[in-house]
Amino acid sequence: MSAIVDEIRRAYATVGITVDQPAAYGTYYRLLCGGCGRMVGNVGDRLLPGMAAELVDAQFDLYAAGLLGCGCGHQRDRARALDPARWTAARARYPEAP
Amino acid sequence: MTAGGPAPNDVPDLDVVDDVGRRGRAGGWPLWRQAYAQGDPLPRFAPPPGRPAYRFDEDDALPGEYRDLLLKMLRHEGERAGNKSFLGFMGTCLDLAEALSPSLEARLLKAEYLAEELKHAIMFHRLAVGLDPDFALRDVPYAHYAFHLPRETWADDAFFHFLVDLNGAFHARDWRESSYVPLAKMSATVERDEVGHSEMGYRFLQEICADARGRALAAALLAKWYPAALDMFGRSDSPNAPKFVRWGLKSVGNAEIRKAYKRYVDAKLVALGLEPPDERRHRRFL
Repeated sequence: MSAIVDEIRRAYATVGITVDQPAAYGTYYRLLCGGCGRMVGNVGDRLLPGMAAELVDAQFDLYAAGLLGCGCGHQRDRARALDPARWTAARARYPEAP
Repeated sequence: MTAGGPAPNDVPDLDVVDDVGRRGRAGGWPLWRQAYAQGDPLPRFAPPPGRPAYRFDEDDALPGEYRDLLLKMLRHEGERAGNKSFLGFMGTCLDLAEALSPSLEARLLKAEYLAEELKHAIMFHRLAVGLDPDFALRDVPYAHYAFHLPRETWADDAFFHFLVDLNGAFHARDWRESSYVPLAKMSATVERDEVGHSEMGYRFLQEICADARGRALAAALLAKWYPAALDMFGRSDSPNAPKFVRWGLKSVGNAEIRKAYKRYVDAKLVALGLEPPDERRHRRFL
């Protein structure tokens, strides 16, 4: 499973999320905010090849709009640095937080 | 205990579970109760006419192909006390609830869910021991990618329960008529519990979709969960499907059960104000 886990690590690193050590017998991994270390989710190691990068890219707008990612804003800021135009468009598309 | 009542050791374990279950339940648990109030929520799957009427119980000698197919099905099911990967997965559910749940009530509901899944782990463990003690202790991580999709928000977790637990409910509905008697006997309990778990996810989605921002998030995440949920039924042209049907381990093929599941899910999505995605988009196992 290490090739898939490496793929998952690389995909999440682009948006400032760190894949932690295995949480359950090598099958599931915590996702940690690269900014503050808080847990932001989890992922398993049976994703299909190529799937992790696709999923993270598909979620770019959600990170940009603050609908996904840590409350500290690290993923939102990372998304802005990655693609400012897409970031601006995403934030215009999603309703503002109350 | 009152004088003249049963001795403690005479009370069946699962009766004790039911008894404590009448106290201290969170948030209207069990959530299947409302779903069944108007009758059977899930469709019956009619087997093909003229199928041989096999029936095997725990101590019966099983034909080789039958045994292999039954074990294959139980490997996918996964909920066994001797399957450490299943127990690990349960741990991740608590971990997620601690990190992402919006309220104490939501965490308590999630704990009710875990309690019922652990009850299933006892039931399937005993079924597995009766079938093959080696298998009962085998570590079998969930193989399907749907169990491994990232969950980064409570809405992800809600979709997981609404869609993935519902997959289990549809299969358990079909097991009511299974040719393997121990599985048929426990099917109604597993089915109704899994319907309740799906309803838990749906309740969370109703709360999330109550405002525009939450609905926008759910609509975006649906593109991740919907194809995975449909893929869980396997390929429509699976060569094993007719064998399962012939032996009475399933009533219908993958395409038919997926179609019924999709009809049920789509109606619930529309009620949430979400548009069901194109059923072929992002699918891996057509």
